[in-house]
Amino acid sequence: MDVILEQYFDLSLMAEHFDDVLAGFWITIKLSVVAGVLALFWGLVLALLRQLPGKPLMPVRFLTIAYIDVFRGIPLLMIILLVSGSLPFLPIPESIAIPRWFGQPDTFWYGVIALTITYGAYMAEVYRSGIEGVPGGQMEAARSLGMNHRQAMRNVIVPQAVRRVIPPLLNDYIALMKDTTLVSVIALNEAALVGRDVQSSLFNSSALTLGAIMFLVVTLPLARFVDRQIAREHRRFSRGAPRVETG
Amino acid sequence: MGNSRLTALLAALALCAIALFAAGCGDDDDDGAGGGDGGGGQTLTVGSDVPYPPFEQFGESKTEFTGFDVELVEAVAEKLGREAKFVDTSFDTIFRDLAQGKFDMVASATTITPEREKTVDFSDPYYLAEQAILVKEGSDVKSAEDLADMTVGVQQGTTGQEYVEEETEAGEVRPYPEGPDMVTPLRGGTIDAAVLDIPVAEKLAESQPGIEVSAEIKTGEEYGLVVQQGEEDLLDEVNEALQEIKDDGTLNDLYEKWLEVEAPQELLSATHEAS
Repeated sequence: MDVILEQYFDLSLMAEHFDDVLAGFWITIKLSVVAGVLALFWGLVLALLRQLPGKPLMPVRFLTIAYIDVFRGIPLLMIILLVSGSLPFLPIPESIAIPRWFGQPDTFWYGVIALTITYGAYMAEVYRSGIEGVPGGQMEAARSLGMNHRQAMRNVIVPQAVRRVIPPLLNDYIALMKDTTLVSVIALNEAALVGRDVQSSLFNSSALTLGAIMFLVVTLPLARFVDRQIAREHRRFSRGAPRVETG
Repeated sequence: MGNSRLTALLAALALCAIALFAAGCGDDDDDGAGGGDGGGGQTLTVGSDVPYPPFEQFGESKTEFTGFDVELVEAVAEKLGREAKFVDTSFDTIFRDLAQGKFDMVASATTITPEREKTVDFSDPYYLAEQAILVKEGSDVKSAEDLADMTVGVQQGTTGQEYVEEETEAGEVRPYPEGPDMVTPLRGGTIDAAVLDIPVAEKLAESQPGIEVSAEIKTGEEYGLVVQQGEEDLLDEVNEALQEIKDDGTLNDLYEKWLEVEAPQELLSATHEAS
């Protein structure tokens, strides 16, 4: 037991390296917010593309489904390695091949790209379940009021769909935030890499524990928030009958 | 689902779990490669971070290891009447694993440093290490000073990393899990230079197109074999074996085979006091 406390909970070591781990965690936050927002947006775009009706648009639907299948099927770690390994060699301008935008290094942006293209695919499926979950009558009613497909989606279907799937989307966001640690494999100094760095030079894993605690500080409140959202949705649809609180 | 079907399903799952457990409890010493022909005796388990050519690298297959360190340890083991068995382990946890007794020894191009001596014991040195700067062909980085403000790759947990962080004015230091991981970023231009041990850098420059060694950094480091703190008998035996290997020319042979140079004179008589 003493060994565990010493190896993983050495408080003086945590205090000594607090700033470094915090700096790493700050990069984690930046990465998750940027990639998360982009993925939420990209996922919605994919879901809508997948939904477009009509025979002439079949290639669009087909390509979208293929994209979603491929990027849900390849592990994120491999995507990170493939993106960072191949982009510098592509015949595209260097400012895109080796992105250094807004003062963040190329490894940051490779991480953003990999996370967005992968999580976009997962979130597209979540949006899809939301869209398909909206009762068919809604679309019929909207169309019969004279709206075309685009107007119906925009004004009637999508708002309802998105509200339904906020909990699973938030869950995906929490998963994305934890998966940012994978970007450490291309040497981005986020929380996990900083923890391992300290571990390899001082042979003590307490900096990793500290990083884990920082994650919990963010993910625990998010998880409770998701629960409250789910409870609220239940209340909205239970037509006023008294319910036992599920939270 | 009726009660009997549920029971049948649970029974099937339980059976699978037992079968897996039984299989797993079999010989689980299989992630190492067989050592030399040291003939019988107790196995000497050795942790090493493979690949790190030419010190440790894969042989004919992923379970066969070879290299300077591997052959050195096999020679030492033979003198001890034991058989060496290597276990591939990540360098950044290798000392912790040694301290926990996962192996008897570590042979992984490991530099003797006072910091490491706090938790492990080193043998006499068997290799004089210097760092090299590896760059993309045609680069302007020609010395440690040129590393100022540059993005420099290093291998996590190595003295190369320590050197770059403490002795140079590098802009960004990127710690990679393995030395060879730095080749693609060098060629792609996402890092400006990489700092690693000279033989490793030279091997990579030789085998990979587009990169070259541009400078050497003399750091006076020495490699030693590593044992758990307190294992004095083992340490004495290993040091004796090492001295014999130095005296009978085996070390020189290894130098010439793997590093293509002669063993330096001062190394052949160098000893190390465990602190």
